[in-house]
This record gives sequence, C-alpha cells and structure tokens, in this order.
Amino acid sequence: MNRTKTRVGLLLTVGALIFGACNTGRSTERNDATGDSTDQDQTAGSTAPVTLKLLAYDSFTPSANIFDDFTAQTGIKVEVVLGGDAGELVTRAALTAGNPEADILWGVDNTLLSRALTARIFLPYETKNIANLDEQAQALVPNNEATPVDTGDVCINYDVNWFNQRNIAPPLTLRALTSSNYASLLVVPSPIASSPGLAFLLATIAEFGEDGWGEYWKSLKQNGALIVGDWTTAYYTEFSGSSGKGDRPIVVSYASSPPAEMIFASPRPATAPTAVAALTCFRQVEFAGILRGTKREREAQQLIDYLTDVKFQEDLPLTLFVYPANNKAKLPDDFVRYSLRPESPLQLDPDLIARNLLMWLDQFTNIVLR
Amino acid sequence: MSQARTKYSNTAKLLTVLPTIFVLVFVIAPVANIFGKTFRDVSLSLLRSGTIHEIIWFTTWQALVSTVIALALAAPVAFCVANFRFYGQRLVTSLTGIPFILPSIVVGVAFLGVLPSTLHRTAFALILAHAYFNFGFAARMIGNRWLQIHPYLDDAARTLGASPSRLFSTITLPILQRSILNTSLIVFTLCFTSYGVVRMLGGPSRSTIETEIFFRAMQLGDVSGAMLLSVVQILIIGSLFVVSTRFGSRDSRRASAPTISRQRRIDSTAKRFVVGLASLGAIGFTTAPLLAILIRSLRTSAGFTLEGWRSVATSTDLWRGLSTSFVYALGTLAIAVLLAIFASTATVFDERTAAFISVLTSLPIVVSSVSIGLGVLVTFDTPPIDWRGSQLMLPLAHAMIALPLAVRMITPVLQSIPAPLRQASSVLGANTWQTWRNIDLPIVRRSLVSAAAISAAVSLGEFGASSFLVRQNNETLPILISRLLSRPGDILQTQAFALSMILVVFSVALIFLIDTFDDFTPTNRAASDA
Repeated sequence: MNRTKTRVGLLLTVGALIFGACNTGRSTERNDATGDSTDQDQTAGSTAPVTLKLLAYDSFTPSANIFDDFTAQTGIKVEVVLGGDAGELVTRAALTAGNPEADILWGVDNTLLSRALTARIFLPYETKNIANLDEQAQALVPNNEATPVDTGDVCINYDVNWFNQRNIAPPLTLRALTSSNYASLLVVPSPIASSPGLAFLLATIAEFGEDGWGEYWKSLKQNGALIVGDWTTAYYTEFSGSSGKGDRPIVVSYASSPPAEMIFASPRPATAPTAVAALTCFRQVEFAGILRGTKREREAQQLIDYLTDVKFQEDLPLTLFVYPANNKAKLPDDFVRYSLRPESPLQLDPDLIARNLLMWLDQFTNIVLR
Repeated sequence: MSQARTKYSNTAKLLTVLPTIFVLVFVIAPVANIFGKTFRDVSLSLLRSGTIHEIIWFTTWQALVSTVIALALAAPVAFCVANFRFYGQRLVTSLTGIPFILPSIVVGVAFLGVLPSTLHRTAFALILAHAYFNFGFAARMIGNRWLQIHPYLDDAARTLGASPSRLFSTITLPILQRSILNTSLIVFTLCFTSYGVVRMLGGPSRSTIETEIFFRAMQLGDVSGAMLLSVVQILIIGSLFVVSTRFGSRDSRRASAPTISRQRRIDSTAKRFVVGLASLGAIGFTTAPLLAILIRSLRTSAGFTLEGWRSVATSTDLWRGLSTSFVYALGTLAIAVLLAIFASTATVFDERTAAFISVLTSLPIVVSSVSIGLGVLVTFDTPPIDWRGSQLMLPLAHAMIALPLAVRMITPVLQSIPAPLRQASSVLGANTWQTWRNIDLPIVRRSLVSAAAISAAVSLGEFGASSFLVRQNNETLPILISRLLSRPGDILQTQAFALSMILVVFSVALIFLIDTFDDFTPTNRAASDA
C-alpha cells in the first residue's frame, strides 16, 4: 500500500516536473529569442529565425501587417509587446536597465526622456534617416541617445455636440477649466502612468509657473475633475465624444484625436464631433531606442531604421494619430483637413523637467491623488 | 550520552550551512544593501514629508483596529470550539482556516466583489478584509490554548461559587493572556505589512507603507524613497519582534492537552443558540466573499455570462500565467522543503542551533515580501551578478517567504520523536544518515507534505515580491489579476474574478491537504503557539 502511494506520488511529481520543464522551456525559448543568443545566431543566414521584441505602450496600434515588409527585407521577425502606459514602461525600463525585457522601447516622450536618459536605458545609435528627421525633435537628443519617431500635441479635447445641445460655450483656456460652468466635466489621465497626462501637467506648469500650478490643480480638483489611471480609460471610457459614450465632455487627449473621430466614424459626420482648445496644447515628441543590454544590437539598429523610414512613418497618422518625425513622409489628406497644428504650443525647458520631474509628480500625488 | 550529543551537534552545525547561505544571499544581502544605499546616498528629506507621516500613521492605526476586530470575531469561535462538542465542529474549524491561507490579492478581490463600489477605497473595507484574513487564525491559536485548560479548573471555580464572568476573568483570561498577546502580535504584523489587500482595496488615498514602497519604486520612479520607506518598515517590525521575544521567552512551558476533554455537549437552549449563532456566523462570514468571487466571475452588468471563463480557457496569456504560477510553485516547494528539512533537523539536534535557526527563519517575516522584492531588484543588478531576469529569481524569493512556515510545520513533528528512539538506533550500529532515513523520515513524511503544500500555497498567491520581479514573459496569476482589474471593461473584470476563483480552489485544496496530513493535535500545535 505504502509502496503504491510512493510510486504514484513519484509519478505525479515527475510528470509535473516534465510539464513544468516544457513550459519553462517555452518561455525561456522566447527569452532566448531576444536575450540569450549565442554568437552563432548573430551571423547572417543563421538557422533559427531572429525575433526582435518591441516594447510599447498599450495604445500602440499600427496597421496589422506593418512589419511584414521589414521581415521580408531582413528576415527578422518583430514581436510587439504592450506593457502599460508610457510612465510605467519607462520606470520598469529604468529598473531593468542593462538587463532589459525587450530589444527596443517605443514610447518614451520628451516629458519622460530625462528619466530614461538618467537611467541610461538606451544605446546610442544614429539612424540612417537622421537627415530627414524633424530638427526640433533632434535637438532634444543631440547625442543620438534615442531616435525621435513622431510628434504631436497634447491638448484639451471637448465634445462639440454636448456643448451645442446645452448651449454652453466650450472651454478654450486652461484657466477656464476651473470655472464652475465646467464643474465635474473634465477627465484627466494621471501623470504618474500616462504620458499625455504628464504632458498636461507640464502644460499647467508652463502656463501657471512653478509656484502657481499647485493652486490651479487644487481648483481643478475642487471643480470635480476626474483623474483616471490611463489615457485609454479617459478617452475611450469616460469621454462622451468617443466610443465609450461616457459622462464627461472634456478630456485630455491629442490634437489629432478629432481627425480620428471624423475619419473612423461611419457614416462620416458633417462636422467634426470633437474639437481642440488650441491654447491648452503642449508639444510632445516621442522617441524609440535600443535597450541597453540587448543581445541583438545589430538587428535592433535595422528595426530603428525601419521605424524612421518613410513607409512606417506614413502609417502613423491614421493609426497612432501623431505626426511623423520624418519630414519626407506624406500626410494623408483627411488628416491634414481635420487636424489642427497649434502654432505656439506650451513648452518647458527639458533640463527643468529633468531636474524637477520627481518633485512635481510627488507634489501632484499629494495635492490631487490623496 | 555526551558523545551522541557532540556527534549530533556537529551534524546540526553542518546542516545549518545550506539554509544560512540561502537566507544570507536572498534576504540578508538585499536588505543590507537597501540599508547601506539608504544611509549613504538617500536624503532623509522624504521622512519629513507630512504625507509620509500620514501613511505611517494610517498603517499603524488600521493594523491596530484590524487586530482588535479580528480578535473580537475570533473570540466567540474560539469559545465554542474549546468548550463544546457539536455537530459540524470540524467544518467550522476547517472553513475558518481558509481565509488565512488565501492569497492576499484574492481576499482583496473578494471584498471588491462583496462590497458596493462606494465602499471600495475606504479604510472600512481594508479593516474588514484584514479582519477576515486573520480571524480564523486567531480563533485557532486561542482556541487551542483554551483547549489546554483543564476542565477541572473551571469546575473547581464553579464549586467555589464563581459566576461565569468571574470564572473568565480569574481563571481563563490569565491563562489565555500570553496566547492572546502573541496572536495579536502576529496579526498586527500581518496587517501592518499587508500588501495585496491594500493594493486592491486601498487606492492612492489609502496607502500603507508597503504599497507606498511599490508606488514609489515601480510607478513614480523614486527608488531611493522606496528604499527609505523599506528601512523604516523593517525597523518598526524588527523592534516589535525583539520586544515580543523578550516577553515571550518567559512562558515557554509546553502544555499538553488534558486527558479529560473540556468540550462538553450542549445542554441548554441558550448555549445552543450562542454556539449556533457563532458557528453559522463564522461559516457565513468565511464563505460569503468566496461566493462573491464566483458570482462576479459569472456576471457582468449585462447579466449572467460564461464569457469570462471562456476567455480564460482560450487566452494564451492567461494559460501562460497559469503554467508560470504552477512551475514557480513547484520550484518554490522544492527549494523551501529542502531547506526546511535541513533547518528543522538542525533545530532538533542541537539547542543552540535551534535558537539560531529560529532567528534565521524569522528574518523573512520581519523583512516583508515587498522589501525582499525591492532588495533583490536593486542588489542583483550589475554584471556578473545580474540575476534580475533569471527564471529562478521568483521561486527563490517565494521560497524565502515560505521557509518560515515550512520550518514551523516540520519542526514540531521532528521534536516529538523521543530521543531514545534515535539512541536505540545508534546502539544498533546505524550512523546519523541511516538513523535519519529510517527513524526520522518515515515519521516526518506527512509533515513534509504539509510543508510542501503551504510553500506551494504561498508561491501561488505571492504578490509583494512578484510585483517587483516579474518580467514580461513570466507573469504570475496574482500579477495578471491585478493587471486585469486595473483596466476598465466588464469582460476583463470577470476574467480577473475567474482567475481569482482558480486561486481559491487551489488554496482550499491545499489547506485540506495540510489538514489531512498535518498532525493537528493540541500537543503539536503548542510548539507553534508560543
């Protein structure tokens, strides 16, 4: 009796260990594909197909087969991994710098750049498309620490129909948002995790100064502003002007969100359902970079080149709703017709951001979240 | 006689080497590194922040209130179990033990399901969940101690004319005092360092030190602040432990169960009413949140749906999470049980090593799981010791967290083996290894199973260290659950509840395994009661 029990137990343990080993094998295979390759794999014509891991924020939604061309040209497969909002991504990348979870990171923007550079998460690389990339964006990374991939503006968006139906004038400035006319109408993604949220916070700092933004946010909070965890929730769930049909007609989003609402609505409405308050915009530049510690640096460089190539860049306006960083990329007509490029968006000195970001986020947490 | 002692004490010292190395590398070194980095580089200005004071204060008072309420809920259950014999008693004991072994994140999720959304981010929810977590454990500890009070003491007091309240205050309470104090200390520590529950039910305005460490390190990007808070937490808990061992060492007499049971049949309607109310209340309170998880996994705002379960069954991500958790649990139990056997055997063989092992295995409890996770992350981060991405890191961290429990499962059983048995075996010519294999191992085998089961349970539900160490491809179930709950969407929520239900089922199975294999008698429990 005892012997049988021992045998059964032994069998179960062995079976479980085999099952476990298979699964560990599978996940280490995936890790191997990006991490622990031997030198042999790096030579051209290797037996195993190379897969690069591209880590991006949750709303990274390029066209479905956009990387097929790249795979056809170079033989390298691209696996896109979504890892939360930009703020989370950068914090985790900083903590895993040197031993990264992927090969390339997409989505560090100018507000988070200082954090990324201090932690040295990237390997410098000068892409072959550098001559065509937006100059102002390039100026932020003079030593090619990262590669600019797109630009945009983070602005207050509002639901035109909502305001028309109630005959209220929509908010056009940051100060207006604290007025009781707009009580409990605003939803903002938290700057802690979300890069548009952070861009909005920086816009208020740029507008009201380092001494005044605290008061402004206190008034916002008293005026019933809703802070949610990430941009996707804010825009696609709480905002009344988008698919979520939420309760709040004012949201922090992009200058290119109204075109998205126009272009992807069927039937296409006569006038744009949402609009942008141009005086509230903050210029945002997004970067991609090769993560330090990747074992596939050469392949990653090829992918960076592809990400800044015209073909990929021309896909960006109608999928990610951003402006391509490559000046040679043509913008779709619809996009040009319905989008607004503010002439003088709010900006903050990158060094100032670098020095004070943590303090501002801490203060924000204390003022607004607690 | 003295020769045998020398032989065993040498073996004991040898046996402590392996557990010591592991605890040194994976608990002490990371913590020392945190302390070192904090005192060298980090500015202490964070400590002056009013918000941090508020967090420390909130952590303390919610732990205090939770402890009081847990004890208040445990008292009637302990009273009934110790003094009466009634139908369904085993069920009450087993069921009330379940919440303690549930993963903390599941308890948090359960209360998200039970409480209306207005109560979700409140201190009330937190305290209720903490009380839920701990009341069964407290009832068991106090109930066991109560069972050891000889019934004749009560009878003598009654004969001398004591009223029930006089009896309680002069006989029962003084004897129970030490046990109540020790239990309160453990419950307070657990509530103070509680992580999963606070993550789910707390939110930014109801942060404890543990969740603040996570928030600072993993979301705000302020690792220095996180390390500073970690130091504060370890100092607070460490001093509590030192104080408690000072008090605890006074009364280490191990009582055994009286030969006459004090459990009497219920002989009056009033008593039947009280016992019935207490048992039904306990059973109801224990099972309601678990039922809530089940119901919420089957319902969205649209109505009854199997979509949550269906998507769990078909999603590759979720299957990967399941298999990762499963593999890690196996790894954890292998490492933890191995180390626990070494540690327990060393404890039994020599008294001085016993004290050493006891301190060694208390370290992972003092250093909370969040601090272990943070410590490993900031310590093993430079080549050639860059182990952050290693698949072994999580099972090792889990094993360190499970080690104290595993050791406390095996040691009492080993200690109950009378010395003459071993002496007889060496008289007959067996060396130490043969003695161990033929005498100790067969007796201890069953407790090995319980130790393995509890290590697996700890690993499956571990959330604190995992929050820091999990990487893209090897997310564990608790991490997946927290990710699903942080995104809006009905289906995502039902998926999270479905996964929590899976964890509940595993935990319940494991606790029944433990209860079957562990020799659950008051004599054996007395050792862990002190």
